[in-house]
Amino acid sequence: MKTITLTLKKFSSIALEFDELKPDDIYTWSKKDFEKYQVPVGNTRFPLSNYFDIEVEGEAEGPEDVKMILDGDMGRVKYIGCGMTAGEIIVNGDADLHVGAEMEGGSIKINGNAESYVGREMRGGNIEVMGDVKEYCGTSYIGEWRGMSGGVIKVHGNAGKQLADCMSGGEIYVDGSCDILAGIHMTKGYIEIGGDVTRWPGGQMKNGNIVIKGKLSSLLEGFNPDGIIENPDIDGKQLTGKYIKYIGDIGVNGKGTLWLNAEKNRDLL
Amino acid sequence: MEYILKNGIVYDPTNNVTGEKKDVMIKDGKIVGNVSSDAKVLDVTDKLVMAAGVDVHAHIAGPKLCVGRLYRPEDERRGVVAKTDITRAETGFSIPSCSATGYRYSRMGYGTVTEAAVPPLEAKHTHEEIMSIPNIDVTPLLLFGNNWFVLQYVKEGNLEDLAAFVAAWLKIAKCYGMKVVNPCGSEAWGWGMNVHGVDDPAPYWDVTGREVVRALTQVNEMLGLPHSMHVHPNDLGHPGNYQTTIDTMDAVKDIEKNPSVIRNQTLHCTHLQFHSYGGTSWRDANSGAEPVADYINKNKHVTCDIGQITLDETTTMTADAPMEYDLYKLSGLKWANKDIELETAAGLIPIIYSPKAPVNSLQWAIGLELFLMINDPWQVVLTTDSPNAGPFIRYPRIISWLMSSDRRTEMLEGEVHKWASKRTALPTLDRVYDWNEIATVTRSAPAKILGLEDRGHLGVGANADVAVYDLEPENFDATKAANAAVIEDVLGRALYTIKDGDVVVKDGKISKVVKSRHLWSNVQGFEEQEKKVLENIMPMFNRYYTVKFENYKVHDHYIDPSIEFKIDASK
Repeated sequence: MKTITLTLKKFSSIALEFDELKPDDIYTWSKKDFEKYQVPVGNTRFPLSNYFDIEVEGEAEGPEDVKMILDGDMGRVKYIGCGMTAGEIIVNGDADLHVGAEMEGGSIKINGNAESYVGREMRGGNIEVMGDVKEYCGTSYIGEWRGMSGGVIKVHGNAGKQLADCMSGGEIYVDGSCDILAGIHMTKGYIEIGGDVTRWPGGQMKNGNIVIKGKLSSLLEGFNPDGIIENPDIDGKQLTGKYIKYIGDIGVNGKGTLWLNAEKNRDLL
Repeated sequence: MEYILKNGIVYDPTNNVTGEKKDVMIKDGKIVGNVSSDAKVLDVTDKLVMAAGVDVHAHIAGPKLCVGRLYRPEDERRGVVAKTDITRAETGFSIPSCSATGYRYSRMGYGTVTEAAVPPLEAKHTHEEIMSIPNIDVTPLLLFGNNWFVLQYVKEGNLEDLAAFVAAWLKIAKCYGMKVVNPCGSEAWGWGMNVHGVDDPAPYWDVTGREVVRALTQVNEMLGLPHSMHVHPNDLGHPGNYQTTIDTMDAVKDIEKNPSVIRNQTLHCTHLQFHSYGGTSWRDANSGAEPVADYINKNKHVTCDIGQITLDETTTMTADAPMEYDLYKLSGLKWANKDIELETAAGLIPIIYSPKAPVNSLQWAIGLELFLMINDPWQVVLTTDSPNAGPFIRYPRIISWLMSSDRRTEMLEGEVHKWASKRTALPTLDRVYDWNEIATVTRSAPAKILGLEDRGHLGVGANADVAVYDLEPENFDATKAANAAVIEDVLGRALYTIKDGDVVVKDGKISKVVKSRHLWSNVQGFEEQEKKVLENIMPMFNRYYTVKFENYKVHDHYIDPSIEFKIDASK
């Protein structure tokens, strides 16, 4: 096991980009290699050691043996764990855009809040965010119609707009509340939102499941009620309590399922 | 600057040079018979030397490209290359950035590219984009097939005024030749309709595709434009459309070629692969390549380019808007439409040509069938209708397919869907292209078809547009399946590309960036008629166009540098 600890010593208001520092590429690196490395900053590069104290302990045979610990405010560090296939990354602080984007395996834990595009186009692995995430968590990229297809994202705080846009697989759990258009364009996969949702979950969804345990303020017209089900079993996930089942979005001949907690959404009964 | 390319193996079909070891000499941007002792020697001993490539049909500049880039940011992510001291950063795969377009053609050893569909209203924009594309000369073709004024003249049978209109509009838009796309169909799209076959009239105008193609071909020959009528026939992509294609070609058979031009054809039928389908629906679709190829083999008044499917994820963009809508309904991805007022309408969708898909594999095989069934390579040009059937950077891959029937068998047996074997004659075709035929379909034939005497060959006096590839044709067996990857690699990064005497590519890397020239046709001798026609159409122009005529014209500073072709229409 190789533990790489980067402790922030100088905060850069211009974002640093970390997509070259994924376990797959750095498992052989020694402390010297890190000190030699020039990290992209805006349109140029500077030594990584300008911004971080670097500690490297142990040896790794492959990326799966790597544990990267990023200590400090990474609120201006983008692409943490982007494209990684194995290993572990822990961020003790906030993280900037694209955490775990295009990730295929391994795990990332953010002990803070994350910016937009967490787990964008993710294909596998685990991401856990202890705080909030902003927009487009678990989505496709701009223009792209192929979004997250595998892996698990857990958000203990709240999620922003367009959670899981174009999702075609994998699971997303949000403990807190969620803003508009969760699961828009989704074709497969599972989304569970513990808190309240503002508006329009499942817009143009073709398939997949969205569970909302809190209160939904505004349901789209393209969803038809399909009964009230007690303790539903959804893809092997056992929920407790009564849920109102909806099928939609009929605007695109969708067969997706939206589950609303009946207790919290009595106005829809 | 003088150069001498020493001891290369030269393929120059125009001048009947077939794999001879000889020197190519360059002075002041031209090929010459001898150079002084100061000439810089480029040792290319035993390497493959050809004239720079000429592309007869691609979409590289104009409003469709811009809509495509805006609409497909996910495509821009593919093919990102960082800037160098010489080049700008590159982006995009099927719709590359302007500079990337120039660099990529240049790296393949190409020197001239045809932008195949310029709507007059957007000509200014097209020329602006051409100004941002380096290292290739561009021959823009102007769209006429669905233009209201054209439809009006055709309806009246007024060829004199139509000729004057075409002459005037080529000057206004600074374009090289004429293009027709789904004649009457894109106009019908304004009414939410399409036309089917060459005898289905456009609503309101009551004019058919046959009449439009015939009238414009007559006008083309009347004016003696260097390139012939360039037609994208009706019914693109519809099973059973091969008959429409043959009808279109046959419709102009009796029209006499203008004696002053160097080309042999009166009609160039573009992306023929999309127009050679049999069957009645996608369930029973099969190849219609044989009757189409047979027609071309028997008729010298037609040439074609293929529009070969490359089995990539790409973007389709064409001034055939109703067809794009049909395609969108099939694919369900996303769709953009661009209406060009009185002139045409374009559509755009992303498309994934998958080797696993029956239809795409069939299309792939039909393209290759046409390449192999048309006997005279001077009647065929290698294109992908870039980016519609695949991006132009795949030309080297197509060449590897043409040169090795073993490679094709390998693909038929293991890589593509069985429709390619079951519904086409491709498995029975063991013809392979040699380097001379490759040089013909990528340089000599397209130059001749376009009516360009100054390029596509290495004769004395030609432009010094030369490509040298890092391959020794005498010590290389292109027919081996295992060598397909080598061909693709080597032809994709020229050892040298020379453009007008400047070495623009060296060892597969851009070594110099030069401005692209705009080639355009200036018809002389119709000035009086042009004036009269302009006066006549101005009321309609002012009523229906959203721009003023003063702002419609492409001014000279949009085409700097340019090559003007003065055409004496009286000849």
